[in-house]
Amino acid sequence: MMTLSIEQLVPIPLKEKLNTRTSDVWLKNIKASSSEYISIQAPSGTGKTTLIHFLYGLRTDFEGNISWNNKDLDQFSAEEKAVLRATEVSVIFQDMRLFPELSAWENLELKRSITDTISPEEASEWMQQLGIGDKKNARAQTLSYGEQQRLAIIRALLQPFSFLLMDEPFSHLDNKNTALAASLIAQIVQRNNAGLLLADLDENNFFPYHKTYML
Amino acid sequence: MSPNKPVGILKKLLLRNTNQRRLISAWVALCIGCTLLLVSVMMWSVFQDLLQGKSSNDSLGSTFLTISKKVDDAAMANKEHAQFRAQDIKQIKSAPQVQDVGMLCPANFKVSASIGSGPMAFYTLLFLEAAPDRFMDQMPHSWQWKEGDNTLPIILSRDFLNMYNYVFAPSQGLPLLSEQTVKALGFTLTMGEGPNATNYRAQVEGFSDRISSVLVPQSFIDFGNNKFAPQVPLSISRVMIKVADPSDKAFTSFLEKNNYSTNAEQLRFSKMRSIVDIVSGATGALALLLMGIGALVFVLFIELTMSKAQASVQLLLQIGYSPKKLSRFLMAKYIPIMLSALSVAVLIAVSIQYIASQKLGSLQLNIAPLPSLFVWCAAACSGLVLLVQISYSIRKAIKS
Repeated sequence: MMTLSIEQLVPIPLKEKLNTRTSDVWLKNIKASSSEYISIQAPSGTGKTTLIHFLYGLRTDFEGNISWNNKDLDQFSAEEKAVLRATEVSVIFQDMRLFPELSAWENLELKRSITDTISPEEASEWMQQLGIGDKKNARAQTLSYGEQQRLAIIRALLQPFSFLLMDEPFSHLDNKNTALAASLIAQIVQRNNAGLLLADLDENNFFPYHKTYML
Repeated sequence: MSPNKPVGILKKLLLRNTNQRRLISAWVALCIGCTLLLVSVMMWSVFQDLLQGKSSNDSLGSTFLTISKKVDDAAMANKEHAQFRAQDIKQIKSAPQVQDVGMLCPANFKVSASIGSGPMAFYTLLFLEAAPDRFMDQMPHSWQWKEGDNTLPIILSRDFLNMYNYVFAPSQGLPLLSEQTVKALGFTLTMGEGPNATNYRAQVEGFSDRISSVLVPQSFIDFGNNKFAPQVPLSISRVMIKVADPSDKAFTSFLEKNNYSTNAEQLRFSKMRSIVDIVSGATGALALLLMGIGALVFVLFIELTMSKAQASVQLLLQIGYSPKKLSRFLMAKYIPIMLSALSVAVLIAVSIQYIASQKLGSLQLNIAPLPSLFVWCAAACSGLVLLVQISYSIRKAIKS
């Protein structure tokens, strides 16, 4: 079982600002296992995206510790980070981070081929399920934000994982598409026996959370 | 490769910014740099081969000198003053630049040569010498003699034939003789005098540029001295030496100090050899510089292409691509390009060496038709250095 441990974490740019208010996450100790569903509620400017980037190892401008399976994230080599990202921790970025010049299918194939644990047929089925089955050959930059977000969600699911990190994953989707996407995510998270951590602006019930933290 | 296959997609993503014109320019620069380096190593290697006298390239060699003691008034009064003693030989062996010493053994008996009979008969008194085989520039297959052999092989100094053809024959109204004609003519050598005189049939088997003498095999000199002049002690008045650099001041002052004389022209020629050494060294340094520039152009081209694909590289790492996998993918694209430039350079160097061996062969300068081990080592080292450089640039681009 994968564990996540956060100890006295504080982003250096927000350090002074955080002295004037309280947070359930910053400067606290949190432990989570891959069986848990965690919601992080975070008003704008409180460091929601920063937290996701810290946990995923994209930024290191923080004080405190983040450990995956009791190993400090700053001890991970580049290769170990690649293994962590390809097989243990997946992410849905708020800004999607697709390759704009590639087609929707190429974006998925690029991710799928890293571990080859999901078949192309299943990936294709998920596209149909989320209503973008006809966009396979469209360049990512020509898709609407909603379509890009659904594509980014599918991409994050095309690998084995113990934790799924999500940063406002449904911000560009209507209720119907949010429900479809959340249902697919729940199904795949369950299949992986994984935990999830979702950061969003408001309280939500996309998933049956075990813990909710105010950032 | 289908663009929908992962490798095809990576290629589309990372190499789409490859400017074909720049790629060709970088390839040409690398190829020129490698070619110049290999050709300069090849030149250096060929010069070394020619100058070290490994083959019989005496016209460039000049590392072989014949030295004798200067004939002064003392030597005029006493022949022994012009002869080398054992301690002289020992001293020469330890002289600066000297690599080998060999003695020219003279025949201590009277010798005459004759050809034909009647009014066209030719007769002359002659001398004979033997040189150690390792000092010979000509070694015909028939260069051996043992008691009972009918024919005695002779190697004649080419200077003698030239003097006959260009000076003696015109002034005496005699016919000119080509090398082939002289080789075809058999003549009679008469050894000793009086009732002990013995005739041998002799044949010129070759012409030497290195040794000004009439040479016969050592076994014949030993036999003749023993048979025709047993009481005369062996006296050495000419010594051959192999020197690394005859123009070295320490060596020339050794000759002067000991009152030894040699062909001063050979010493001057050896200075030219030093100049050739310096020129080939300078060419090598220049080639190394150009190779460096060629490699730099190629590496900068890779770095430029990589910097244009930087955003894609970072995103690939973010979605879980391994830096090693990306490195391997990029290396697999650029290494064959580098190897093709190096292969073309090797091909050019091999062709130049082959053509040079054909052309120089007709000038009696024998060089190998294929490049030496140094050239192959230089090619392998260049490949290795480029491999390390490219690998470093790619890893740096992926890390940044």
